[in-house]
Amino acid sequence: MNVEETKARASPREFSPKDDLPEEYRKAATRMLEFHANSEIMGAYLERPFIRKAPSLERKMAFSAKVQDEIGHGQLLYRAAESLGVKTRDEMLDDLAEGKGKFLNCFHYPLESWVETPMIAFFVDGAAMRRQATLKKSSWEPYAHAMDKICFEEGFHVKHGESILGELMNGSKKEQEMTQEAFDKWWPRILQFFGPTDDQSSHHDFAADVGLKVMTNDELRNAFLNTYLPKAKKYGLEIPDEPRIRENDDGTYDVVEDDLDWDEFFTIAKNDYEPGVGQIEGRKHAQDAVEWVRNALDEQEVLAAGGQSPQAAD
Amino acid sequence: MIWEVFRQNQAGDYHTHCGNVHAPDREMALLFAEVQHGRRKPTNSLWVVPQEEIGEVDTEDAKFGGTTNKSYRFARTYNVEPAAEEVEASEKELTEAERKRGEA
Repeated sequence: MNVEETKARASPREFSPKDDLPEEYRKAATRMLEFHANSEIMGAYLERPFIRKAPSLERKMAFSAKVQDEIGHGQLLYRAAESLGVKTRDEMLDDLAEGKGKFLNCFHYPLESWVETPMIAFFVDGAAMRRQATLKKSSWEPYAHAMDKICFEEGFHVKHGESILGELMNGSKKEQEMTQEAFDKWWPRILQFFGPTDDQSSHHDFAADVGLKVMTNDELRNAFLNTYLPKAKKYGLEIPDEPRIRENDDGTYDVVEDDLDWDEFFTIAKNDYEPGVGQIEGRKHAQDAVEWVRNALDEQEVLAAGGQSPQAAD
Repeated sequence: MIWEVFRQNQAGDYHTHCGNVHAPDREMALLFAEVQHGRRKPTNSLWVVPQEEIGEVDTEDAKFGGTTNKSYRFARTYNVEPAAEEVEASEKELTEAERKRGEA
């Protein structure tokens, strides 16, 4: 199939590993999936310390279950990515360890205090879920199938995050102030979750034309603001004056792009942002520490395969 | 040789198990699967898998989902209005899964 034929056939769940797809499609799908998979992994590492830091047994168990889910989502997405034949799972994981793999802007920032957790667990996960629900209609069938399972689990994450936010915003004055401070800090980053506006987005056109994604950055940002802005207000959070957000008559929003720090965003996109580098290295360290487990599994796989050269272990 | 058969209704759907056939090789297994399972029900694709290649773990060997109360894994536990339609959809699916687990 050439690119034009692929565009003509593009529709939800249309293409599977059986299809002969042009390299452009396979590369674009790999880029999306690898980014998504890496983000699941890096997000899990960011939240992992809160299994220990959470203030109650219930919250600890929920964070433990959530981190486990996110790592599982990463695994599902690497599977959907490697079946495109562009990069192997090992190559993607190695690239992530070596700082070459890209992932979501929000996961480059440190998450230090409990009051910050709903910024990820409610707002970022809520934003991610808005996007992920649309990807159930992706033309790459393994991606859409991964989204079925991910969205199934993700409802627990978002509601858990909202429950923490509700608890904090109904807590002491001090808790409310600290949560507001965390919100002020995270809000611009969350707005940047959906990337630059459509006219500045470099990858959208092709990915949309071949049905890999079905909504633009702007549409998703609107969909997010439509539901999560009222939620933030409902819990008594004040929306910072900047970045300025204009509500249009048709229910859409315009975020004043110049009020957002795009230098920082693109530094992050290059994996050059200092705290993000620390998180990449932190994960690499954890990965290295359990290398012996992977090696043992690889050896086992060689034996099970009758000594023939095996695929790398998952 | 026994081959387990998985049928997909239409493109993009999941292949789900629908039975098995007795056949000497893969080619015959596919043919038998086609006539046994693909003639009436809507079928876009069939898979056949040698039965001996399938691994199984069941409730004799495993406690799926554990034995303690793990309600914290389910969206319904958190007493907030779902923020968006996809959160609500997820909660419905999770609640349905929780209910069926309770019945089992």
